[in-house]
This record gives sequence, C-alpha cells and structure tokens, in this order.
Amino acid sequence: MMTLPFFICAGALFSAWRGHRSIAALLTVIALLVLFVLFRLHATDVLDIDL
Amino acid sequence: MPVRIAHLLNVLALLAISFVLLFAFYDQFANGDLPCPLCLLQRAGFVIVGTGLALNVLLGVDARHYGLMLLGAVAGGAAALRQVALHVVPGTGGYGAPFLGMHFYSWAFVLFAVVVLGTGVMLALGPARVSERVRRGGLGLVAVALFAVMALGNGVSTLAECGVGLCPDNPTSYEALDSLLGR
Repeated sequence: MMTLPFFICAGALFSAWRGHRSIAALLTVIALLVLFVLFRLHATDVLDIDL
Repeated sequence: MPVRIAHLLNVLALLAISFVLLFAFYDQFANGDLPCPLCLLQRAGFVIVGTGLALNVLLGVDARHYGLMLLGAVAGGAAALRQVALHVVPGTGGYGAPFLGMHFYSWAFVLFAVVVLGTGVMLALGPARVSERVRRGGLGLVAVALFAVMALGNGVSTLAECGVGLCPDNPTSYEALDSLLGR
C-alpha cells in the first residue's frame, strides 16, 4: 500500500515521457488520492495537544 | 515571465526535490534511520510535487501541473504537520536525529510551505498556459532521470520495509525483505 504513490508517480513520469499528458495527470491525481487514504489510515494516535 | 525562464526554474526546482529525496536516502542508509509511516507519506508528497515539476519540464509549463504540485505540497505538509504535532509537547521526544537544529519532519513542513509559496509566485508571474513544449534539453532530461530514480528507489525501499501492507508505526528493520530472505 505505502509503495503505491511512488510507483504510480513513476507511471505518471513514463506517461509524460511518452507525451500522454492526460494519463500522466490522471495518474498523479490517483497517487494524491492514495496518499490521502494512507494518511487517514496512519493518523490514528490521539494528539496530546490542546487545539 | 518568458517560457524559457519558467522552464529553467522548473528544472532547478526538480533537481532540488531530487536532492531532498537523495538526502533522505543518505540518512536512511548511512545512518540507519528507517523512515516511519508519516515520513514515507512526506516523501510521497515530495514525489507528487516533483511529478508536477517533471510534467512541466517534459510537456511544457501548465497551470494544471502547478495545481498538482500545490495539492501534493498540501498533502505532504499535512503529514509533516501531523508529525510535528505528535512531538511538539516538550519532553515527548522526536523521531530521528535533528539536522541543523530541526527534525526532518519540521524541515519537510518548511519545504512544503516554500513549494506552496514558489508555486504561487510562478502562477502569478508565469504564462497562464503554454501548450507548446519546450525542447527537451540536457539539464531537464538529467533532472527528470534523477527524479525518476528517486521515485522508483523510494518505491522499492518502501516495499522492502513495509511489504504490500501498511507500515509498522515504529519500524526497526526491513521486515518484508527479511521475511522474504528468511532472516
């Protein structure tokens, strides 16, 4: 799971290299969404601060 | 701002992001500091920022690519801020050794803020949208190649540390790699 953003971005780079702008942008958005999901799954501890 | 200048600034910024990831790798392998899950999320944020820069370098400067960079910087910055908040109370310690007076996650938050500011400046001063590609030059190709190695390297390193699942909160070894090798 944690590897996904890196490999998806590598795929975006490959697509950009081949000139596929839309696919590259779409893959980057997917990597971003995966990053947000992973952040949600890992941010589980209660913060000991007074907001 | 002329397109060539915008292109050059994107190349230099991509080299800077690659250097940040390279330095994190150096600390990981030379000092044996395994990246925690939030650290990996911050690296992923830098990789998304770098991908936006690489798209500008390869396909021409485009406001949409800057938008992706901003989103990546906000996501990575959120992970960094979360880690700062975990350790902000005096006496709770930090994760890893400090560098130049601050921990890596504090530096990461500063760098993501710089990315947001820099991207805002580029959007304000740069061309709104450039459809034509800038000819792929030597330095741009080097920057993209170096960044691609960093992105793939982080993917492989994370796979060795965490496998295909979620990472342990306090990693002590490359668990997936050790398991694969029967150690």
